[in-house]
Amino acid sequence: METKIVSKNFDIPNAHTIEVALKNTRYESIHNLIFLKPQTVIDMIKASGLRGKGGGGAPSGAKWQLASDYIGEKYLVVNGDESEPGTFKDRQIIAKDPHLLIEGIIVTCFAIGAKNAYVYVRGEYEEFSNILQLAIDEAYAKNFLGNGAIIPIDITIHRGAGAYICGEKSALLESLEGNRGHPRLKPKKPEPEFYFGNPTLVNNVETIASVPFIVLHGAEAYRAYGTKDSAGTLLFAISGHVNSAGVYEVPFGTSMIEYIEKLGGGIKNGKKLKAVIPGGASTPILPAHLVKEAKLDYESLKALGSSLGTGGMIVMDEDTSMVKALKNLLRFYHHESCGQCTPCREGTSWVDKTMDKFINKSATHEDLQILKGSSKSMNGQTICVFAPAVSGVIDGFLKHFEDEFLECIV
Amino acid sequence: MKIMIDETQIECKEGELLIDVMLNNNISIPHFCYHQDLGADGNCRMCMVEIKGEKRPQVACDTLVKENLEVFTKSKNINNVKRSILELELLSHPVDCPICDQAGECKLQDYYMDYGLYESHLTTPKTHKGKHIDLGSHVMLDQERCVLCTRCIRFTSNITKTHELGIIGRGDNAKVGIAPNKPLSNPYAMNVVELCPVGALTSKDFRFKQRVWFLDSAKSICHGCSRGCNIFIDYNETKYTTEKIHRFRSRRNNEINQSFLCDYGRLSYKELNEKYEGKISDVQDLKKLLKVEKKVALVSPSLSLEQLKSVQNFTQKHKIALFSLPYLDENFGDDWLKTNERSANFKGVQELFINTLQKEFEEAFKNAELIINFDHQLLKNKPLVQFTSTQNVNQENLVFAIANFAHESGTLINCDEIRQRFEASKYKSQVPRLVELLEQLS
Repeated sequence: METKIVSKNFDIPNAHTIEVALKNTRYESIHNLIFLKPQTVIDMIKASGLRGKGGGGAPSGAKWQLASDYIGEKYLVVNGDESEPGTFKDRQIIAKDPHLLIEGIIVTCFAIGAKNAYVYVRGEYEEFSNILQLAIDEAYAKNFLGNGAIIPIDITIHRGAGAYICGEKSALLESLEGNRGHPRLKPKKPEPEFYFGNPTLVNNVETIASVPFIVLHGAEAYRAYGTKDSAGTLLFAISGHVNSAGVYEVPFGTSMIEYIEKLGGGIKNGKKLKAVIPGGASTPILPAHLVKEAKLDYESLKALGSSLGTGGMIVMDEDTSMVKALKNLLRFYHHESCGQCTPCREGTSWVDKTMDKFINKSATHEDLQILKGSSKSMNGQTICVFAPAVSGVIDGFLKHFEDEFLECIV
Repeated sequence: MKIMIDETQIECKEGELLIDVMLNNNISIPHFCYHQDLGADGNCRMCMVEIKGEKRPQVACDTLVKENLEVFTKSKNINNVKRSILELELLSHPVDCPICDQAGECKLQDYYMDYGLYESHLTTPKTHKGKHIDLGSHVMLDQERCVLCTRCIRFTSNITKTHELGIIGRGDNAKVGIAPNKPLSNPYAMNVVELCPVGALTSKDFRFKQRVWFLDSAKSICHGCSRGCNIFIDYNETKYTTEKIHRFRSRRNNEINQSFLCDYGRLSYKELNEKYEGKISDVQDLKKLLKVEKKVALVSPSLSLEQLKSVQNFTQKHKIALFSLPYLDENFGDDWLKTNERSANFKGVQELFINTLQKEFEEAFKNAELIINFDHQLLKNKPLVQFTSTQNVNQENLVFAIANFAHESGTLINCDEIRQRFEASKYKSQVPRLVELLEQLS
């Protein structure tokens, strides 16, 4: 069931060192580049159907094309600010196979014509950031990076300071520029991101790590996995009330319940499944009966009223209080809202405080209306998708588990 | 090109922001963070409009107009959106209007009356933040009243580039503040008070002095230097017996000061509240003195063109040598609004060919039998005291009180040769205007 494309070297001991990595196909795709034009690589990515693996799922090839076509000095920024609750895949790549990421960066920089790449690593990931730095140093020593390399590029690690919102690409760039991590206004027409005014491509760690396989084996080989619209594989993570929480790579389109039972090892203590948050905390929850229908791809989960997000599943057993679960999530969003737009700044605080009344079983029908009303105010009226995601989370809980909330009303 | 706003056709230019088009055409559009001289930031989400063809409401401050754009600002749906955002803005607001200086000119109040009018739904505790924080020289901050529009921050980072203000904290805990021991004390600091759409930033000088609804405004020009910044003089409405000017506010003029003023100019209103309270001489006494031979007059370069002209006519008629000297102060000017020439109309003096040569003035002054000073600072603050041992001494100085520029309307020419009118307040001056006095003399 597991399909190891990105995670091919995860189980090989010491794969994070360059000696072991080189014995296991790392940096091989770079030799292919000698015979390829940058545009050919972009076309391969387009043909492969690779989609952004950080949660948005935007087609990567189109993004690369935008950055490549824009005139100016280009930059690649790799988004490793993995902060979505329930998501812990990027750090596996960085910890277990950092040379795969470096290889992906070299290929991507070649394709879009960038000379500098930044890896924005989540602030709390000090350990992983150190591993990546050692790998980068090794790559410099072996002339895969720096002036002596075939494709001379420089990679710089930047560690975040612990803000969830800096995983949003424009807030990440603001943070990288040394400003407060506030998302930027979205452009009205397609254009690349900008780092100090220069055209920039921002991609997730896993997206970049998927690139070497495509260049080495071709777009069709990648397309062979997954579904028509969700090509390839994803490092799905599973946590919560399961026996073997972890990260397992499977092709898109795999059955969710099968994944939970076979790879996740089933529900702990033989309990029944109650619900799953399918792709990191910010995707709407699915109750057990929908989990049984769900497939792990973008279309299936969208049809069920949720989304694939980052693919980090949070599994909840029958004893889970949905009121407490929602409170837990809303406390997180209250803490992490950047405070730029009014609906999010005030809305996340209001719903979090209102949840206290449900927890204390002192809520009223009006409080339920406040949850619903604030959720509406937060949807579609802000600069970034933080507040709409919170809105979706609240709506999901209320849609499927409203009776538990009604029980808390005096 | 043309766009439709609420089924009315509006002329506009390609590339303009929708919110600018609406503001320029006096179409009401609620907004906190957008400011015509600070640009768009898009954080308050108040300026939501419906646009034909767009699924979701859009912010007018981030929408460029294009041919045949159809905008709706009054539908029930969009009013609900505005109400919900306003409700969120006001959620943790202390609603202390009775003791807030912004009351009466507060955007939160205005928009509540336009779009709010709901009962509070809040059943949970408000978020509390800092009160009466002294930011520096002239400004006080109340973080609870703040809507975090960041106008003040953008002013200090983009306009003055002094970077004193920033946001501290995240989410509903975000607040405007200064770094420890880095007070907001640049020479333009008080602009943030005026930029603040709510009562978060208040002027130490103005707070608790007067309710704004008791104030009337005159469109005037600051006389603090030769820049000619456009101002409103805010004074007690005429129905209240005490004539008092309470503040200067900037009046938007894109060519000169945009919406800004320097603190010096802003506080220079205080001089206008000072009245000459000494003895006022008889015009007839002056008439007698005019018979002497050698007469010199010095006129202030801050007088309006009309006043200067009338002085010039008077001096020519009575064969008085007329001079004017600039108010130069090398330490006053900067690279923005403040100029070293601290008179309001020196260009006007030059236009009328009034003699401005220091040497010739000094020569004439030495030999003069009669010296007339038309409000020039050089002679004003130097009382002429005569210690005399003989009877052969003139009588004491003659002093005539004249109205200050708050009571005058006239024309000034600023340092960039821009000619502008200023208007008088509605108060009738208790002392005569200079022009009236000179008419009496002739």
